[in-house]
Amino acid sequence: MAKQSSGNVADVLDRATGKLQMLARDSESRIASVAKGFEGLATQTDKILSLASAIVDSLESESLRSVLPKVQTLGTSARLFFEERLNATTGILSAVEGESKLLRQFSQVTRRQAGIALKTSVLTMFTNIEVGRLGSEGTGFQHLAQTLSEFSKTLTQDTEDLARHIEGRKPAIEATRRSLSSELPGLQEEFARIDIHLGDDMAALQSGLVQLSEAPVQFRACVENIAQQIAQVVSAIQAHDITRQQLEHVQEAFDLITSKMRRPEKSKTAAAQELSRTYASLKVQIYQLQNIQATVRTWTSQIRTCMEVILNVSASDVAGISPLVLAREQEVSSKLVHIEQLEHEGQGYSERIRQTVGGRSTLMLLVGEHTEKSKLVRHRLHLLSLNSIIEASRLGSQADAVFEIAKSISDISIEWGKVTEQSEVTMGEILGLVEQTSGLMEIFSDAGAEPLGEAQAQTRIGLAELQTTAAFAARQAHEIQIVTEGMQAMSAGVGNSGNLLEAAYGHVDSVLKTIEDLKLQMELDYPHVKRGFNIAEMEHLFSSSYTTEMERDVMRAALHGMPLPVAQQSFEGNTVELF
Amino acid sequence: MKRILSVDDSASVRQMVTFTLRNAGYEVVEAVDGKDGLGKVSAGKFDFVITDLNMPNMDGIQLITAIRKLPGYAFTPILMLTTESQVEKKDAGRKAGATGWIVKPFNAAQLISVAQKLIR
Repeated sequence: MAKQSSGNVADVLDRATGKLQMLARDSESRIASVAKGFEGLATQTDKILSLASAIVDSLESESLRSVLPKVQTLGTSARLFFEERLNATTGILSAVEGESKLLRQFSQVTRRQAGIALKTSVLTMFTNIEVGRLGSEGTGFQHLAQTLSEFSKTLTQDTEDLARHIEGRKPAIEATRRSLSSELPGLQEEFARIDIHLGDDMAALQSGLVQLSEAPVQFRACVENIAQQIAQVVSAIQAHDITRQQLEHVQEAFDLITSKMRRPEKSKTAAAQELSRTYASLKVQIYQLQNIQATVRTWTSQIRTCMEVILNVSASDVAGISPLVLAREQEVSSKLVHIEQLEHEGQGYSERIRQTVGGRSTLMLLVGEHTEKSKLVRHRLHLLSLNSIIEASRLGSQADAVFEIAKSISDISIEWGKVTEQSEVTMGEILGLVEQTSGLMEIFSDAGAEPLGEAQAQTRIGLAELQTTAAFAARQAHEIQIVTEGMQAMSAGVGNSGNLLEAAYGHVDSVLKTIEDLKLQMELDYPHVKRGFNIAEMEHLFSSSYTTEMERDVMRAALHGMPLPVAQQSFEGNTVELF
Repeated sequence: MKRILSVDDSASVRQMVTFTLRNAGYEVVEAVDGKDGLGKVSAGKFDFVITDLNMPNMDGIQLITAIRKLPGYAFTPILMLTTESQVEKKDAGRKAGATGWIVKPFNAAQLISVAQKLIR
């Protein structure tokens, strides 16, 4: 290979300069197109964010924020509503079973009272016979016999009435008991099913509404991220200008070397020194070009990455906020309808239970009256017993039979007293049951359903707010869709922008290769060139034209034979220094 | 609407300055070098000027010196946006009448904040 002449070196550098000029023009037009694409993308992104922001604002309204607590209150009220009904139904079954048992006990009481009434009737007959036998002596006893007869009739009548009512009530109570016993497991299953459905509904609603409440935070994070990406692209696009200046400085250096190489040297020594300076200059330019390569890779990749992130906003949750709001509104509506259906079913059961336990009041009244009458009879029987003993004593030896009658009346009085006590106890127990059932029946009253009704009304108010927001979100969604389609159409351009820039700067590789070959050839042809230059002189020569610290660092590294400084590009952007 | 003049021989830098400040609600006019910038300043009123340092025809220092001589521009904020970070250059800018200095690339949020602070 022939030695490189000064003229050859100048020619090579001329061609390299030409290539770099072409590259600069090419990259200038491409960066302008990237910047334009970026502006379009940023504008579209801004539109999406504005549309989404309006939705987020309405989501953050005070009334909408209260939807979740309202729905939670509804859930709690609904669950309580069904739970209370389930417990009350169980309580009512137990009361009905108790009533059935007590009615059996009352039957025994009435049977015993019927027996006593019969005895009293027989005794009346004996008393009348004895009154006839005593003649005028038994006048006082006659009044006793008459009273006893009246008692006997009343007792018989009352006892028969009560027995008839109890017997009439028994089948109804038994039917209710059987019905509740057989239906309760079914009812329990129904309420359990309703409870599960409610639980599922509430869980779905809660998760949906929580998701909705998180949307503003998510949105703000997205806005922050997009702002950061936009700022980084703004910085990266500016970095092109720094690279452009660096390239211009390399071209200027080539021009300087070329002009010196073409100038005839006066002596061989001067020519040798000039060759060394040329060598040092080439070394500096090689470092600068390598630095340009690294820097360009950094900012083109930055532009591409950030623009892809910006583009992704069109496919992000932020762009999809409208469907989210719409879905939540539909969900709340459907769940509210479902809860109302479940409540309706629950009310149906309430009605059946009301009918079942109703109608017992007449019996309770009758039992009450009978017990009161029994107490009165007990008192009067006691008096009768005393009167008969007094009358028997008055008659003296003629009254053996009267004594017997008086004793029988006393026995009847004692027995009646016992039966009446038993009747009172049973009555007390029945009243206790009635009270217990009345308390349970409160649950099935309209007042029992009030908390749920209030919660439903509140949820409906919240739902109306959500519906307004959803309708607004639907309108915004349409516009977001249009913008999103526009952004998707830009995606190909965004993908290409980084490639196009990298391709434009690909010419740096070939220029670098040419200059490196030239430098190598000079080292081979003129070994002295590596040591024949003055570092301070070279630094002075170039540093005045350099505008960035990086260029100066790169120059020093080249002249001192140090590794190429790492191209550290800050895409955060620099801050303003105010004077 | 407040008017800002952006003077830079780099189209992409002008684009980014315009993009940043226009989105912040300012009207931005572009000039390709100092001479073009001076012509636009002379022709209309601007509330803020942002200029590069190294430009063909007329550099940033010359532009600032010329602007300061224009009536009504003695206190108009002028920011130098340049790749230069040398102290001597900054001193030259300050002496010419620059209000502040920012080394490229600029931080978009900071540029907006400074514009808001300087433009009354």
